[in-house]
Amino acid sequence: MSVQTIKSIAGIRFSVSSPAEIRKYSVVEVTAPETYDEDGMSVQGGLMDGRLGTLEPGQKCLTCGNTAARCPGHFGHIELAEPVLHIAFIDNIYKLLLTTCRSCSRLKVTQEELDKFTKIRNMDAAYSLLSQKKIPEQILEKAKKTKECPHCGKTQYELIFTKPTIFIEKTELGGTRLLPVTIRERFTQILDDDLLLLGYDPTTARPEWFILQVLPVPPVTVRPSIILETGIRSEDDLTHKMVDVIRVNQRLKESKDAGTPPLIVQDLIDLLQYHATTYFDNEVSGIPQAHHRSGRPLKTLTQRLKGKEGRFRGSLSGKRVDFSSRTVISPDPNIDLSEVGIPKSVAMKLTIPEIVTEWNIDRIKKLVINGPSKFPGVNYIVRPDGVKIRLDFVEDRSLIADNLENGYLIERHLSDGDIVMFNRQPSLHQMSIMAHYIRVLPGKTFRLHPSVCPPYNADFDGDEMNLHVPQSEEARAEALLLMRVQDQLISPRYGGPIIGGLRDFITGAYLLTKDDTVLTVSEFSNLAMLGGYEGKLPEPVTKGKEGPMYTGKQLFSLFLPKDFNYVMTSKWSKGTKGITRDVVIKNGELISGVIDKSSIGAEEPESVLHRIAKDYGNVQAKKFLNSVLIIVKQYITHYGFSYGYDDLELPDKVRNEIQDKIQQSYDTVYDFISQAKKGTLKLTRGLSPEEALEAYIVNELSKARDTAGSTADQSFDETNSGRIMATTGARGSSLNIGQMAGALGQQSRRGKRLLTGYNNRALPHYKEHDDNPDAHGFVKSNYRDGLSALEFFFHAMGGREGLVDTAVRTQQSGYMQRRLINALEHIRLEYDGTVRDPHGHIVQFLYGEDGVDVAKSDHGEAFNINRLIESQMIIDTGKKATKEEISELAKKYTKTFNSRLRNNANEALLDSKLSKEGIETVCKKGLELYNKAKVEPGQAVGIVTAQSIGEPGTQMTLRTFHFAGIRERNVTLGLPRLIELVDARKKPVTPTMDIYLDDESKTDREKAIEIAKNILQTKISSLIYDSETNYATEIKLLFNPKKLKERGVSIEEIDQVLQSIKKFKTEINGNNIVLKLVDESDAPTVITIRNKVMNTTVKGMPDIERVTLVQKEDEWVIQTTGSNLAKLFQVKGIDKKNVRTNNVFEIGATLGIEAARNSLINELSSTLEDQGLEVDVRYIMLVADLMCSKGYMQQIGRHGIAGTKDSVLARAAFEITVPTIAHAALAGEIEHLKGVTENVIVGSSIPIGSGTVDLYMQVSEKK
Amino acid sequence: MASKKIPVLVPDHVYVPKHEIISKKEAEQVLKKFNCKPTELPLIFVTDPAIVGLGVKPGDMIKITRKSSTAGESLYYRYTVEV
Repeated sequence: MSVQTIKSIAGIRFSVSSPAEIRKYSVVEVTAPETYDEDGMSVQGGLMDGRLGTLEPGQKCLTCGNTAARCPGHFGHIELAEPVLHIAFIDNIYKLLLTTCRSCSRLKVTQEELDKFTKIRNMDAAYSLLSQKKIPEQILEKAKKTKECPHCGKTQYELIFTKPTIFIEKTELGGTRLLPVTIRERFTQILDDDLLLLGYDPTTARPEWFILQVLPVPPVTVRPSIILETGIRSEDDLTHKMVDVIRVNQRLKESKDAGTPPLIVQDLIDLLQYHATTYFDNEVSGIPQAHHRSGRPLKTLTQRLKGKEGRFRGSLSGKRVDFSSRTVISPDPNIDLSEVGIPKSVAMKLTIPEIVTEWNIDRIKKLVINGPSKFPGVNYIVRPDGVKIRLDFVEDRSLIADNLENGYLIERHLSDGDIVMFNRQPSLHQMSIMAHYIRVLPGKTFRLHPSVCPPYNADFDGDEMNLHVPQSEEARAEALLLMRVQDQLISPRYGGPIIGGLRDFITGAYLLTKDDTVLTVSEFSNLAMLGGYEGKLPEPVTKGKEGPMYTGKQLFSLFLPKDFNYVMTSKWSKGTKGITRDVVIKNGELISGVIDKSSIGAEEPESVLHRIAKDYGNVQAKKFLNSVLIIVKQYITHYGFSYGYDDLELPDKVRNEIQDKIQQSYDTVYDFISQAKKGTLKLTRGLSPEEALEAYIVNELSKARDTAGSTADQSFDETNSGRIMATTGARGSSLNIGQMAGALGQQSRRGKRLLTGYNNRALPHYKEHDDNPDAHGFVKSNYRDGLSALEFFFHAMGGREGLVDTAVRTQQSGYMQRRLINALEHIRLEYDGTVRDPHGHIVQFLYGEDGVDVAKSDHGEAFNINRLIESQMIIDTGKKATKEEISELAKKYTKTFNSRLRNNANEALLDSKLSKEGIETVCKKGLELYNKAKVEPGQAVGIVTAQSIGEPGTQMTLRTFHFAGIRERNVTLGLPRLIELVDARKKPVTPTMDIYLDDESKTDREKAIEIAKNILQTKISSLIYDSETNYATEIKLLFNPKKLKERGVSIEEIDQVLQSIKKFKTEINGNNIVLKLVDESDAPTVITIRNKVMNTTVKGMPDIERVTLVQKEDEWVIQTTGSNLAKLFQVKGIDKKNVRTNNVFEIGATLGIEAARNSLINELSSTLEDQGLEVDVRYIMLVADLMCSKGYMQQIGRHGIAGTKDSVLARAAFEITVPTIAHAALAGEIEHLKGVTENVIVGSSIPIGSGTVDLYMQVSEKK
Repeated sequence: MASKKIPVLVPDHVYVPKHEIISKKEAEQVLKKFNCKPTELPLIFVTDPAIVGLGVKPGDMIKITRKSSTAGESLYYRYTVEV
């Protein structure tokens, strides 16, 4: 084996090239705009000069003498006739011009201030780090305002920057253009010390270098020309652009020499600037794009680096691989869960290298004789001297086989039992790539077990998947140890199984284990054998016509571990309102209950499957699942199970009943409408009459749908296939059945009924203002009977929204996932248990605050003490331990536990009826499990966190608003809310507060209303019924006494508030206030004044738009729309310490960063929980801790964590590629290659997981 | 960044955990325990509403006793920095 060099790059320093440097590197000055002459030879001094490197394989490079394969290419240069500005540094040029004196080039800040800044800069106290970072900003702010240079006293002029490249200085004589030459001269004089203050590294980047005098010409390898089929040479975009530069440069030189009028020369200079600009970046705003002859915009340097297909993301962070395959997938329930079926044709293309040894030489000889076209065979042989033989071209393979010796390397076909990695995009979590064993099968598709669909999120409607063959022993070992399907049974997102039975497996399990299922001895034996049962057959427990019979439960029990005990409630029992805790397993025997989704289903924590995986290990769980699934599949296949039109037929009686019930609801709706017209409808607080009516109607209609659905559903008996599937959790719900047999119900768009589209009607087929629910999308028909044309159209409207929603959601959640991954990818667990980034910055002092790995936990807990006690109870004998004994034992074993775990254990043990020995066993087991559940050093906790939050994002709804029945306020929920939170927005879309009241007021409704009035913002505009404006003299405000009373404001109070505006004098006139204008002014001014008055807050707090009183357990709580914590704390009568707001940023500002962190955790968890998505708190905590680790809330994204990373390459690979690199160059930043992205880019191993480990050698010092 | 005006302090709010300044000696021990430099700790601004009442100076180390849903109680340290 060849010696691998691991990590040979220590770091990368970024800098700006000086003209001298460019000339030094240059091997040729390019002067000729021509590339090739008529003979097709490259022109000397042209852009394809042989000295710039070589492209054709046979040719030797004129500079280094190497052939194309080894010549790296060499830079040339163009001497520009006039200096031009470098577009990537244009902002820096502007800022420098603003901060430096036009005459002496010093910073336009007094010497004292400079000294002060220098002092801060040189301070090595750790706490001033942030102050240091702010120096350039502060200098810029101060210098901008300076009118006179504090150093030389010269007047400073205003600078106008016309994007992209023109600077004009406004002097007394008018505007003068600042030419690059002038700018360059000014920059040359800037002192190094001044530059240091501005964050520049003068040794690597002098600002005068931002003005180009020479332009480097990249080697031809960077811009290879392509020869088209027609034999015509087509040049690269960069070459085209360089040609433009050379042409203009030459013309400019000639014109200057010829003494052309300066105006024309200036035009040429501008043209040169244009070409130089577009050479660097062809997407600069303000100038036209440079186009190719064909009309396509040129792809120049910036475009090459930027974006998804750019160099950073497209070629460096993601690379193309060999030994991979992709094809359509299809299901095969007969293969093992951990297998993947591959077509023979694929197996014969993909190879695995194997070294010939004396132990495998015989086998390999046979393979070699088979050759490349007979399976299993060998495609290549590599001799120890490095010569590779392709067996396709070998005549006599047996001869070669005979010559095989130890040490030869063969590349053999994939065959059964080899390990490969299988993947489906989008790879949202670690289970999207798993290691499977190969099973070579006939056919042309990849085959996978239907039960591994959930982790891949795959189905078989045409999905394709990728397969990768690891080539080294290390890679195979890693795949085998970490990535196998059975090791991914438990999802790290919530610590429960993600793989399990689904669809027909569940139905089958139910059919097999339901009480009346009996099997003949031969059926039983066949199924047992199919499941791989090898033990003794049990005794049949019942008798039938054909002799002794087994029950289905007995068959299922065969595959349970013999000491397994478990009690739970099945989904079926819940669905049919049967008894709870019906599933009883005692000593590996299913005593009662049916097996359904809650026992063996996928994504079902605390199930039988989960318990087996937890208590007996993954291998056992996989074996169990494999056996059960295959027998269940076989059973249902023979049983015969189908669902069709007939299964949905309803008796006429039920049909009429449904019709009647819908009609009843319609009548109620009409009643609501007439009540509303009369104004007698009971209003709900916080809603306008129209909104209230709509809410009542929606509520009534949804009730109508539900009753129709459940009536239909209930009318089917328990043997109906649909009901079986719905109640066991195999597929569908009673809602689906209801829609098929009952009524479809209300169709909606944006969460509302279909109300508009045409004038006052949803479709032109209805009359305007039609009150009939039919006219607004209520579908009375069901899928079985079919929809009427109008109903169908309404249904399509709702359906369309669903499609759009999905399309938008995948994009949004995809971007959120990318940002999360980017912000967290480099976070790992260190050996001391802390969570840090690779630069040593601590994010958490103990992972998840308890150091437990969710993937190894039991549904989020280190271990399940109740389970331990329960299983111990069954075998426990002896007398109950005393309290003292229990406490003593608990104390001994729980020393290392954290307080919560210790308390839980103590309580559970004290409640148990175990003997002393039993307690000790439980304690021992618990301690052992606790130690096993701890996270391992090097664990990529960051990536797992990002995935655990990002992946459920794809499953969230996009609906922004949520009307929970007749509730009072709108809150952003689902994906938009999640994005809002990780964005660390200053203000959420729907800010809201929950205000609890102090003991005195919380039970008193009157007091609560009084407080609410003090909180609600009351503007003058909401108190008046009219205003009269006399533009010359006065504004008259006519107040509505009813409203004044309602809001609890008096005229005098308003008058008091208005005193603060000095533009007028007030005069109270009954219920009116007259504002007498002091100065006479024109109409617009008066209007401005009037608007100001209207918007004046007379009572309450700004931003609080609406308040509602809600009763929570005989306590009044004020809920608001709008949030203003700071002001709220000044209000009396509230329980300050219990106020909540959903504006996390505001919490940070008023209560501190730690409070913000807590609130962020709360908001994130409730958002996810609300959508029914289970994500462990540890992940949410890590994200919150990371976002708050710098003392203020940092966004997950380019302005926050991903944008402030230490690594230049990581930042450049995320977003804003080119400016990032430009800034790194002027600051002289060094890339230390400690993170993940950086190492992927340079191609070395990543410092996460198994890559954390390094070998260090202690070299003893010389004596 | 944190706002400059801090109108009312509510140090006993349910969201605010216990913050305390720890002595130089203790701070040394924390740094030694985690083998890190002060800047490698999570940061907190001197102006943070939760600590302004404590008479804190830049460079102080703050010990935060958090309520934890996984561990019952957990300790967190932050290093005070200038704004």
